[in-house]
Amino acid sequence: MSSHPSAVTSGLDRDLIVRRSAAADEPAWLRDQRLAAWEDFVRLPLPPDATEEWRRTDLRPLDLGALRPLEVPAPSPGTGPRPQKPRVAGGLPALVGDPSAAAGLRLVVDGVSVQARLAPDLAKAGVVFTSLDDAVRSHPELVRPHLGSVVQADENKYRALNAALWQGGTFLYVPEGVEVDLQLVTGTWLTAGGVAFLPRTLVVTGERSRVTLVELFGSSDAAPGGDAAQGAVRTFAGHAVELVPGRGAQIRYVNLEDWSRSLWEVGIVRAVVGRDSTVNTLMIAFGAGLVKTNVESRLLGEGATSEMLGVLFGDGTQHFDYHTLQEHAAPNTTSDLLYKGALKDKARSVFAGLIRADHGAQKTNAFQLNRNLILSEGARADSMPKLEIMANDLRCTHGASTSRLNDEQIFYLMSRGLPRATAVRMMVDGFFGEIFDRIPVETVRAWLSGAIERKMAGYV
Amino acid sequence: MAVTNPLGIDLDQYKFGFHDPEDKYAFKSRKGLDREIVETISHMKSEPDWMRAVRLHSLGIFEKKPNPTWGGNVGEIDFNDIYYYVKPAENQGKTWDDVPADIKRTFDRLGIPEAEKKYLAGVGAQYESEVVYHSLREEWTKQGVIFLDMDSGLREHPDIVREYFGTVIPPEDNKFSALNSAVWSGGSFVYVPEGVHVTIPLQAYFRINAQNMGQFERTLIIAEPGSYVHYVEGCTAPTYTSDSLHSAVVEIIVKEGARVRYTTIQNWSKNVYNLVTKRAVAYRDATMEWVDGNLGSKLTMKYPSVYMLEPGAKGEILSIAFAGEGQHQDPGGKVIHAAPHTQSSVVSKSISKSGGRAGYRGLVKVYPGAHGSKCAVRCDALILDDKSRSDTYPTMEIDETDVQVTHEATVSKVSDEQLFYLMSRGVNQDEAMNMIVRGFIEPISRELPMEYSVELNRLIALEMEGSVG
Repeated sequence: MSSHPSAVTSGLDRDLIVRRSAAADEPAWLRDQRLAAWEDFVRLPLPPDATEEWRRTDLRPLDLGALRPLEVPAPSPGTGPRPQKPRVAGGLPALVGDPSAAAGLRLVVDGVSVQARLAPDLAKAGVVFTSLDDAVRSHPELVRPHLGSVVQADENKYRALNAALWQGGTFLYVPEGVEVDLQLVTGTWLTAGGVAFLPRTLVVTGERSRVTLVELFGSSDAAPGGDAAQGAVRTFAGHAVELVPGRGAQIRYVNLEDWSRSLWEVGIVRAVVGRDSTVNTLMIAFGAGLVKTNVESRLLGEGATSEMLGVLFGDGTQHFDYHTLQEHAAPNTTSDLLYKGALKDKARSVFAGLIRADHGAQKTNAFQLNRNLILSEGARADSMPKLEIMANDLRCTHGASTSRLNDEQIFYLMSRGLPRATAVRMMVDGFFGEIFDRIPVETVRAWLSGAIERKMAGYV
Repeated sequence: MAVTNPLGIDLDQYKFGFHDPEDKYAFKSRKGLDREIVETISHMKSEPDWMRAVRLHSLGIFEKKPNPTWGGNVGEIDFNDIYYYVKPAENQGKTWDDVPADIKRTFDRLGIPEAEKKYLAGVGAQYESEVVYHSLREEWTKQGVIFLDMDSGLREHPDIVREYFGTVIPPEDNKFSALNSAVWSGGSFVYVPEGVHVTIPLQAYFRINAQNMGQFERTLIIAEPGSYVHYVEGCTAPTYTSDSLHSAVVEIIVKEGARVRYTTIQNWSKNVYNLVTKRAVAYRDATMEWVDGNLGSKLTMKYPSVYMLEPGAKGEILSIAFAGEGQHQDPGGKVIHAAPHTQSSVVSKSISKSGGRAGYRGLVKVYPGAHGSKCAVRCDALILDDKSRSDTYPTMEIDETDVQVTHEATVSKVSDEQLFYLMSRGVNQDEAMNMIVRGFIEPISRELPMEYSVELNRLIALEMEGSVG
């Protein structure tokens, strides 16, 4: 932790916002936005566990009042990343993989930017890839119209907390017509325990642009061996992601988490997809004790398209809860969702996916598929695909299935001389195969392959 | 009557509803619900003390439980503006000749006597809250099959009723099962002894007639090991201006190796709230089948369930929903796998039109240890215009690894190619649309007894009139 003089040791409160905002020399509009969100946070109740959205995921053991703020030295304007020794901690390099594969790379440890680079030609073309803190000062005209416009503070208590106290975060802007072939990557690592880590991501792109943003998250375990159920010190990550593509533009967004087990995450990834735009999201969850994330594509303009992919692998007592929304609010829109989860030990997953076609959303084409693979007695998968359709000239299909490894197929492979472990591994690879083929980023595929290997170690 | 209409229903008249003068009622309780009303109902029926205690206990639960916050809007129901008990005539009709003429006239319009002559083993026709006419063919009586209205069942077979009543659906289950348990009246009591196969369906017709009258029938079916019975419940009601409430409870016990099929074609008038709890428990190698058609009512919330409690039990749910203007059909089903090697399938077909809202809400639950279980859920929806809505809310809770659970749902419109093809063969557009919709529900309508299948098709045709602009 930093010993910066402005560091505070009190809890999350209004004073903290005022102090931080002043220390970072934030513009008044942002400070006011934060303070208004704080009012929402105080006013809003914790989500009632009786409601359909929350009744399968129990966040009561998470005491928001016990969390400490993550103390980050206020960035001094203009200096960019601090020229300190690169504290590229723990598993971050492994998470990032080959750094040269990225057109831009930002590494952040405990809220401090330790490395930041962007290919010069992109910078020259006007691409902005920086922390959201910095962007507020350097590009207020790009940030202000969009920040908080997609994910509102008053949606629930966790959104309000993020809106009030977000720190660091990622801002990506791609100007009109610029197509970025290689991915831009942020790698975020947390060593601090018992804190509230509240990053925020805003991606704004111009017309006919194309970009891929990969966000990687991991942490060192503050309470080693602590699975969600036993972990005494709990760390909280509350992430909010706003994706705003320009007309005819494409954003690919990849969110990969391999948090330690003592961390609980509540997140929201929401895209507002306008005319002829495309947003692809890919959520990868391997770590954390508990994840409750909403992933939403709101297709607001004609010709909008969204692909939504998810890969989850739970073991121990991990709990993954993904609520997805494919909202078709304009004619001629397309969405295609595929979430696949493998569950081992006593892990549990909840998938609740809603396809909604609003009045007038004719020629909607929506597809949703959730498949779960149960690897152990005691693992559990709840699946709730939902359709709410208010237009008639459309096609909406959803499907869900839960199954276990097929003994006959494993036997067949073993009869061909493969050891059981290899046969099982091939089956699991096969299960994830159809998603792998749709992941455009090689480093992510490589990481996934290794991560599945690690999860399957010792499984018979 | 036309050959294609064996029930003799005059659909043109039927469409607008019909009702008899109301001054023939022998007893009508005051509006509203409290301890006194519940005690009066129990007293009027000369019930045993334990049943009165059940009713009063249930009333307390009803008063405590909040309205469900999901499904349809039940907040508009004014529970104090409803008659909870109406007894139409003093005594049960023993033969057809004893049935009062105005009630007969109503049944004539529904075509019951004609249908009975041809097909029926027995008819328990519920007119208002009391069953007024009941017959059962002698052969079933000889085999020990009991088919009575529930009040008579309680009087004549108190031990059986007491053993099973409320064991499948306790009053605590939900607000409306509590309401029914407090004020139930009528419904059917069916007991099929071990090994007896009732080869001709048992049928009961229900009608709501008085304005603002709640109807709270209670049905209990017990199928002893190795037996078979098909029970058919059809509901029709004339149209009124203010809202009525229908809240039934149906409990079914399917013992080892037995099979029960329960068929409903619900066509309540479009101001009726139809909030029904139906549940069956199936033991070893038993089979429970629900065939559930929902065409009428303002709001239907009904999720027939099968609890598969022992190995080899099977559950099957076929559900049709048709929602026209002002209607919200929220039916569905639940299959609960609580034992190994249990199997279930759910097929739902919903159609919405003219601003109606239809759908499917369901649950598949597989408990730990229910290994080798299989479940397939298939939901299809047709939306016939851009004002209407379709919802699909299946839920799957799987606590067991060795299972196969699949769910698929599709929402689509009537395909232009199909319409064009039929029209190119000289079928006019209305009829082509009709044929496509009939084809859409065919997997379910073919499971109905023939006369119901015909009635269903006629009702759909009636609803489809003018649907092609």
